[in-house]
Amino acid sequence: MRYEYTVETEDLAKYYYMGKYVVKALDGINLRVRRGEYLSIMGPSGSGKTTLFNMIGGLDRPTRGRVYIDEVDISKLDAYELAWLRCRKIGYVFQTFNLIPVLTALENVMLPMIFAGVPREQRIKKAIELLNAVGLGDRLHHKPGELSGGQQQRVAIARALANDPAIVLADEPTGNLDLNTGLEIINLMRTLNKEKGVTVITATHDLKMIDVSDRIVYIRDGKIERIETRAEVAVEA
Amino acid sequence: MSRVGTWEIGEIKFPFSEAVRFSLENIKKRFTRAAITAASVVLGIAFMNSLMMMAAINQQVSGMGGIELYQYWLLFISLLVCAVGITNSMLIAVTERYKEIGTWKTLGALDKHVLELFLIEASLIGLIGGLVGYIAGLVAAVIYGAVFQGAPMDKISSAFFGTKMVPLPLPTAPALLVLSLVVAVGISLAASLYPAYKGAKLEPAVAFRFEV
Repeated sequence: MRYEYTVETEDLAKYYYMGKYVVKALDGINLRVRRGEYLSIMGPSGSGKTTLFNMIGGLDRPTRGRVYIDEVDISKLDAYELAWLRCRKIGYVFQTFNLIPVLTALENVMLPMIFAGVPREQRIKKAIELLNAVGLGDRLHHKPGELSGGQQQRVAIARALANDPAIVLADEPTGNLDLNTGLEIINLMRTLNKEKGVTVITATHDLKMIDVSDRIVYIRDGKIERIETRAEVAVEA
Repeated sequence: MSRVGTWEIGEIKFPFSEAVRFSLENIKKRFTRAAITAASVVLGIAFMNSLMMMAAINQQVSGMGGIELYQYWLLFISLLVCAVGITNSMLIAVTERYKEIGTWKTLGALDKHVLELFLIEASLIGLIGGLVGYIAGLVAAVIYGAVFQGAPMDKISSAFFGTKMVPLPLPTAPALLVLSLVVAVGISLAASLYPAYKGAKLEPAVAFRFEV
């Protein structure tokens, strides 16, 4: 609990050059995310949510500005350090689940731990624990193709938590799920956020996410439009 | 390892045994794709073996002849076509797996790990293709010898195992097996280098943006 802010962005910008046009996907984002916070980034499609997700997650390089994770400027990291950051500090959850199709649920959850160098026995134990925690203890040896969308997303969440990351980043985690399944996934992430104290950042336009978020950042055209804390939202509702 | 801020950057591991296991799973699960790639190898290697073995049978039957220079040229071109086929097939395989490569990288994989996965897969496909091509080539040579040259079995056997020496010794069947596997794995690896490198260099954000 050394740092107050797990994530900090400073004048973060990403421009895409399409011929003579410049698309400003992100244009000067200043954001601070507290340790243990559940933060939602809301905005219409094309507002820059996914770009922000990629920047915070170290998946893409900004055009301008900085991203700090645990007070480390991640633009200064080399390829090896960046891979280590992705492996150990951040857990990713995607709209399309992104499980490795040829591996079972258990193997998918074990994969990040292979890169982290966790011994095999411990890997299996931890992966089973995590899959139990997300309610899939009876689906360990199923491959993604044999699981429903909600179940696949649960595996993805278990995988994201495999190396005890500081942050779980989720890009439209409920985007491919029906209403009830989406709600289950949201509640699961909130529970894990509280129990494990892991910071959760979701990019979403799912309004169900509002109820569980500590803060909601609204972005539009690559800029922060406004930030609401949960108390304010509750009053408005 | 190095220190960045308050982080101890630890080692990123990817044991070779795990890489082989994942490559095998990939070949099993994506069998059709692997079989198409292997077909290129099978055809090239089968041609090489039938060419050599038919020449050996001819020698045993007529006591002369060998492999003409132009036949080596044919062999070279056929192996080149085989390599281009593998490159094409592997490029498609890599493109199909963009999202998967992006995912591997978000989990901590380095470029070299992705490269390793594709090259192990290429080696395994080369090995299987080489073995099947070897058998197919020999079967073709036996049919050629027995049916078209009317060669008795002992002459074919001599051609296979080089028991009766003739003016121009050609590789025997066991030697051809070694040659086939080496050539098959070599071609498969060389032809997969560019596709594998292309996949390994992929940035996750680019990989996820890409739509097949």
